[in-house]
Amino acid sequence: MSSTSQKHRNFVAEPMGEKPVTDLAGVGEVLGKRLETAGFDKAYVVLGQFLVLKKDKELFQEWMKETCSANSKQSADCYQCLKDWCDEFL
Amino acid sequence: MADQVDSMSDAELRTKLAEHGFPIMPITASTRKLLVKKLKLVLDNKSKPRNSVDPKVESRRSLARYSSGEESDLDAANLKEKRGRRATTGGSMLPPTSSKTRRLPVKKDSPVKPDSDKGSESEEEKSPVCVREKVETVTTRHITRTYANEQDEYETGSDSDVDNDKKTSSPFRSNSRSSDYISSTLSTNDAATSPPKSSLFSRPSISPSNYTSLSSSDHLNSIRSRLGLTSSLADRPSVSNYTSNYTSTYQPSTSSVDEVESPYLSNFTRRLSSLKAEPLKPTSYLDRDINNGTTVLPRRSFVTSVSRSDVVDYKSANDKKFLKNNLVSLALVVLVALFFFCLFFMYLVKKNDITSVVDDQNSVIPICQLNIPGNRPGINCVPREHVSYAKDLLKVIHPELTSRIAAYKCGKPGALPYLTEKEIIDFASARAETVDISQCRTDLNNLQVLIVNNPRWGLSVVQLKSSYTRDVEYTPLSSTDSVVQQRHKGSVAITLTDPSTPLSCLFVNTLYSAGSTVVIVGLMGIIVLGLQRFYKYYVRYQKKKSEEIYSMVEQIIDIISQETEDSGEPYISVDHVRDTLISPQNREKMASTWDAAVKFIQKNESRVRMEVQSVDGEDCRVWRWISPHGSPKRSAAWQGQAFETQEGSVNNLTVSPTPCLKIRHMFDKNDSNPNLRSVIQDAILEKCDEKCNILHIDIERASCCVYVKCATPIDAGIVYRSLHGWWYEGRLITVKYLRLERYMQRFPNSPSVGPFLKPSRPKRSWEE
Repeated sequence: MSSTSQKHRNFVAEPMGEKPVTDLAGVGEVLGKRLETAGFDKAYVVLGQFLVLKKDKELFQEWMKETCSANSKQSADCYQCLKDWCDEFL
Repeated sequence: MADQVDSMSDAELRTKLAEHGFPIMPITASTRKLLVKKLKLVLDNKSKPRNSVDPKVESRRSLARYSSGEESDLDAANLKEKRGRRATTGGSMLPPTSSKTRRLPVKKDSPVKPDSDKGSESEEEKSPVCVREKVETVTTRHITRTYANEQDEYETGSDSDVDNDKKTSSPFRSNSRSSDYISSTLSTNDAATSPPKSSLFSRPSISPSNYTSLSSSDHLNSIRSRLGLTSSLADRPSVSNYTSNYTSTYQPSTSSVDEVESPYLSNFTRRLSSLKAEPLKPTSYLDRDINNGTTVLPRRSFVTSVSRSDVVDYKSANDKKFLKNNLVSLALVVLVALFFFCLFFMYLVKKNDITSVVDDQNSVIPICQLNIPGNRPGINCVPREHVSYAKDLLKVIHPELTSRIAAYKCGKPGALPYLTEKEIIDFASARAETVDISQCRTDLNNLQVLIVNNPRWGLSVVQLKSSYTRDVEYTPLSSTDSVVQQRHKGSVAITLTDPSTPLSCLFVNTLYSAGSTVVIVGLMGIIVLGLQRFYKYYVRYQKKKSEEIYSMVEQIIDIISQETEDSGEPYISVDHVRDTLISPQNREKMASTWDAAVKFIQKNESRVRMEVQSVDGEDCRVWRWISPHGSPKRSAAWQGQAFETQEGSVNNLTVSPTPCLKIRHMFDKNDSNPNLRSVIQDAILEKCDEKCNILHIDIERASCCVYVKCATPIDAGIVYRSLHGWWYEGRLITVKYLRLERYMQRFPNSPSVGPFLKPSRPKRSWEE
């Protein structure tokens, strides 16, 4: 990991509270909309899924791909973001 | 087997996943799909084309047995609950329409019931034999269609008592499309146990109708449910097995009459749904059919009928089919290529055949006629009797000419693409000793005339640029006159107008040029790659260098700030810093980094200033640390006066009313210094410079006030004037007089007579 995005750092910097799902790194407007239609409107809901999948990268990425047809970079970003957040706050 | 996964319960799924080494994780609505997919993937990878057949059937049975055993342990309510869940996952199991058609054969002895799910099922359970018969009907029908020839099939043996024609008649006619479908899917499904024989060929004709019928979901469901029953039974080796299972599940339900209906109902439906693993294969086929349309169907049936491989490994069959289909087209392509190659070869061979060309009737032969003036033999016409000689000469020299040109084209050194007159005459006389030179000369002249007149022969008379240097340059001559002119110079030659390169040469040349192209491209590629590599390396090197420089700068700044703080001197020698940071053996190596870092600091570092100072009598460059907040020692000091408090100023009271003072803003509310009181006491005493007598100083942290009690009001005046309006640690001090009573109220224990307070440390001078 050479560097992380500003979004990633912003997200990992503080507890997520009621942040929307679009605050997750790798999740932009389009993916955010898709996730919201799938019921994942807040970042903590995605975190829940992340935890239910036991922080398994492969499964989480697969899930992202299924749910909002995210590409591998987006899902990897999102995964890293949630993982770092968990390392920090969980 | 993979299709089975869809219908697994959460618990089953979990155990399956655990078997395959997955971490056990909660199966929720959102994760289930994902995990099912994973499991399928794993199962697909694991299943082997051949030996997956028997284990598959085995596992099916074991699964069925497992579920039936399990259900006998569970109580009725639980079963019902499970059934409800299954029903929702698997879609409506038995829609009213389908149940109606199913009930048709058994309706003779049962009263009419409402068309609800439960009603139909309860009816079925009341007449289990009838249901079984009906089921067997399907099986036998399937057998008659598929294994008409195989009488030794065990299923036929077990069901031999069933009257095929009678049973298959009514119920399935009514729903012929779906029943047809069942038979066809069953036959493909059963390919594992025995190869399909005949019915498969009827499938393509049926499938379109299936396809249309599938558009309605009701139909699909009915087919599914039907398949759930039939195919599972068709897979059963014998009916006795079925009946034993059947009775065993039926046994507990007979215990109480009231519960006969519901437990059995649940048992039956549960069996149905547990066996749905098998129907899922056909349904998955259905799905594929829907996806792919009708085009896939004939192909599949073709493959299954031809290769008779297991339909279970659909994929491998698919691969074979792919290969097969491609083989045909590949062969076609090869044939076409061969054809064109032959054509090309024939063309090549044909072209070189000079005899046929020369002897062609269409050749223009200018015969010398004596009565026409200007006709000179050997110059613009040929005597009739010499035509055949000239042609013979051509036939003699043509192979030689061809071989020469071939040699030239092949790049043979010294080969020339023509025959000069001299060479021709030598060659001809060598071939035919009887012909004398002059005869040869005449023939050659005649031949030249013929060649000029017949461009179609593919030969041309050319004029060599120079007859001495063996040059390949020549210009063609198109008229007999110019030929005659050049003939005297001896620079006339004969060559082929359209020389063809021999195949081997062509191949070698092509190979050569291709090789050289490849080499050039390869070289360029290597160069580009090298450049790119170099550029990458360069960029990395630069990055590394700049990182080094930055870390060096940070180290330098650390050292400067630390050293200046520790030693008390505000500056530090540059060379000293370098020698501290870099070990002697690295100094030469790191010189460039160091210089860059020094330059960087000089340019971009505001806290460090470079100047020249004399250190121990020697001028050297030093770095001075400029603290952004000023020095910490200075911070606890009086920093000057904000406004005038001397005599005559408006801020100065002429008479001090009381000996007590209240000083504000000497410290912050959040100042947590434990010996704040002594610090402030010292500061005040030092500031007041021993010229006044202070009895008592105290602080109140809550209101940030310092209280001072002096011996006399005059002393208080001095304190007032020396403190009021001064900056202390960046804060402006204000002093007020306080009445003695108030002061005594607040500090009752404060002394009223000396000894006066003295500063705890030696006096320092404050710059003003």
